Amino acid sequence: MVRRTMIGFCAALGLCFVSLAPAALGGSGTNIRFEDITAKAGIHIRHHIRTYHGKNADVLRMFTGGGAAVAVGDYDNDGYEDLFITDSEEGQPNHLFRNNHDGTFTDVAQEAGVAGGNDASNIVSDALWFDYDNDGLLDLLVARFGTPILYHNEGHGRFRDVTAGSGLNKFGNTIAVITFDYDNDGYLDLLFGNYFQPANLLDLKDPHVLPNNLDGATNGGGVTLWHNMGNGTFEDVTLKAGLGKVTGWTLDVGHGDFNNDGLQDIYLACDFGTDHMFLNNGDGTFREVTEKATGWDTKKGMNVDVADYNNDGWLDIYVTNIYDDYMKECAMLWQNMGDGTFTDVSQEVGVCDTGWGWAAKFGDFDNDGWQDLFVVNGLRSAGPENYLTILLPMITKPGVDFSDVNSWPDIGNRSWSGFQKKRLFHNLGDGTFREIGADAGVDNDRDGRGIGVIDLDNDGLLDLVQTNADQSPIVYHNVSQNTGNWIELKLIGTKSNRDGIGARVKVQAGGLTQIRELDGGNGYAGESSRRIHFGIGSAPKIDRLQIHWPSGRLEQLDVPINRISYVEEGRGLLK
Amino acid sequence: MTKRLPPLLIGFFLAAGGLSVAAATADAEFRQGMAAVQANDFATGLHYLELAIADDPDNLRYASEYRQAVIRHKEFDRSIDFFGKLLVSHPASANLHLNYGFAYVDKIPVAGSITQVILANTALGEFIKAVDLQPSWITYYTRGASYLFWPKIFGKASLGVADLEKALSLQKNPAKPYYVRTYVALGDGYCKLDLLDRARATWQEGLRQFPNNAQLKDRLSLHGDELVKYIENGFDPNKRVDTDLRVIWSEGR
Repeated sequence: MVRRTMIGFCAALGLCFVSLAPAALGGSGTNIRFEDITAKAGIHIRHHIRTYHGKNADVLRMFTGGGAAVAVGDYDNDGYEDLFITDSEEGQPNHLFRNNHDGTFTDVAQEAGVAGGNDASNIVSDALWFDYDNDGLLDLLVARFGTPILYHNEGHGRFRDVTAGSGLNKFGNTIAVITFDYDNDGYLDLLFGNYFQPANLLDLKDPHVLPNNLDGATNGGGVTLWHNMGNGTFEDVTLKAGLGKVTGWTLDVGHGDFNNDGLQDIYLACDFGTDHMFLNNGDGTFREVTEKATGWDTKKGMNVDVADYNNDGWLDIYVTNIYDDYMKECAMLWQNMGDGTFTDVSQEVGVCDTGWGWAAKFGDFDNDGWQDLFVVNGLRSAGPENYLTILLPMITKPGVDFSDVNSWPDIGNRSWSGFQKKRLFHNLGDGTFREIGADAGVDNDRDGRGIGVIDLDNDGLLDLVQTNADQSPIVYHNVSQNTGNWIELKLIGTKSNRDGIGARVKVQAGGLTQIRELDGGNGYAGESSRRIHFGIGSAPKIDRLQIHWPSGRLEQLDVPINRISYVEEGRGLLK
Repeated sequence: MTKRLPPLLIGFFLAAGGLSVAAATADAEFRQGMAAVQANDFATGLHYLELAIADDPDNLRYASEYRQAVIRHKEFDRSIDFFGKLLVSHPASANLHLNYGFAYVDKIPVAGSITQVILANTALGEFIKAVDLQPSWITYYTRGASYLFWPKIFGKASLGVADLEKALSLQKNPAKPYYVRTYVALGDGYCKLDLLDRARATWQEGLRQFPNNAQLKDRLSLHGDELVKYIENGFDPNKRVDTDLRVIWSEGR
């Protein structure tokens, strides 16, 4: 059924390129190509950064120039993945794009009841699909500079705002949110990354809200961990869990089992100072291991994505920073050494220079068995003048108080690290990457923010949705030819959380062993597909497939290639 | 019969004697400090080196060795603090300003990228004062080279080239071995201004005078993007800049 629909859709687009001649594992050439189908897909929107009023309006707007997020999820369980795309300007709606199965989408946010959120007191910043009550329908969390909104999926395309009774009532300047089951109780919890301290930027009482140090700020918003109580409510357990000491400017949060002990650990990317890594103790608490694992840094962490890029069985971590003519902060590819330490190999493997990096997402875009990496960048593309020329005198002024909004010059119509080309790093399968953004057709120069990796037409090739600040999003359809074989798995937890987040799948095929963990929104401003995707190159079958569920259950399955399979915990492959 | 010396000359000799006593004291402190540093007793070493510099603030050698010890012991804030305080009582010492600036430069590789800008800017301020107080090859060379570390957007490369051209004009015969640095840096400066022909001509001129210099040979062997990348890599703020002045007395005298 799924297969037939897929073929029909492919034919409609005239883009049936699947598996005509499967790629060899680890081939060094690239055949990765994307086509911008935004207009054809019916996505005619643009994001708006929030407008502030009063004396510090311009600087505050500059510091909050994010909020363009995408969340991928099949909210109506029709077998096709849908998109939720945010706006941030007061009165501007968010968008729920229902997948029409024919390469187009329809914005149904208003009738679904999820368009709101940008009001006089709150700025939408991120979004997340997650089934918090395990009823089989994806619910929606909208994160804000303000208080979050929790929408319960009522079915039939309708949502209900259940925030008031959920306990999610704490004010925060949340810029990132992920979900995972940190205590493996079968219910998805929430981790919020908060950028500013909890000051109301829309009604500023004290101007000292900006970073107190540009390389080691300690006055940010830290994180908030919300424990899902299993009854529709959440409890703030940040302090109890041992995460209360983080006071950095958290810009993104990511999770994964970094030490292969079956528990979900976390990495916090912080702007203006050091990132943090915490390992899960398995008793509802975390312990900070930053010093030993990665060491402290002074960079501008913007993104956390987690993947085993070198197929060694250990999850690695990719963090974007700011790399430009005037600031050389390489992105960090933390290679997991398997002994509790991580080594930054970004320069050695060729993924250092990302420009002013934002979201970065791993994905095997040519199905060759090696995960590639798409990175978006660019802060502000505006007029010909550069903000740096007026920023430098401020930064170098003796005794200047960086935290004071009044210290910062207005940016006006100036650009700042704008018009940057996006990067697509092709994994060559030999431990290195090659940048192929232009050849692949994704080297646009918009002010990128979020990435959603999605198989929008169920053809086994990963597509991309890129959100951009104050600009239109871009939908890239993967039209690569001569790609490898693949599998996609939709996991359904029973004892584990229904979404299967945190499940680890290990696949052996074609002499290669790969792992994937289903994540709950890793990567800045973007939640990717809930399906686990593997490219297997020219391998004609899967030799062995194991699923390690968050509940601890271990299952081994036979899974057909070149199709999407549904797997239920305890029942195996669903027909 | 001994003719009495006029009072002015007596004063001169007394002062000279006093100076030589101070110089001898400073030298003894310097030796004691260096011995301690070599024995990895940094606390004692830095203490005596600071005494030596305080007694002879213009002494480039003492200050340079002190900073090298500071770098090894990662006591960057200590040297910044030390030179800053000493300058209060010796504001007219160009060499002290130079070393104060170098102390900031020494800290740059271990700082965050924004702090690097702040440190570089503060160092530049000290190098500007050094040139104002004592226009010389070393002050022009130092300030000129420091301008080149600034990214293009800030438009300081032309100032660097002007300083390095001045430094080149101050180079006298016989050529000191360290003069080769001017050719290298000036060529790099031209390169930053996209004057590649002038850059090559400068390096070639340098190579005529210093035929064994690897830095010049490396540059002249590269072309196009490869050359530009090589030059840019040389200005990576995360790489330690060689601020060791030992070359001046070991090669040049």
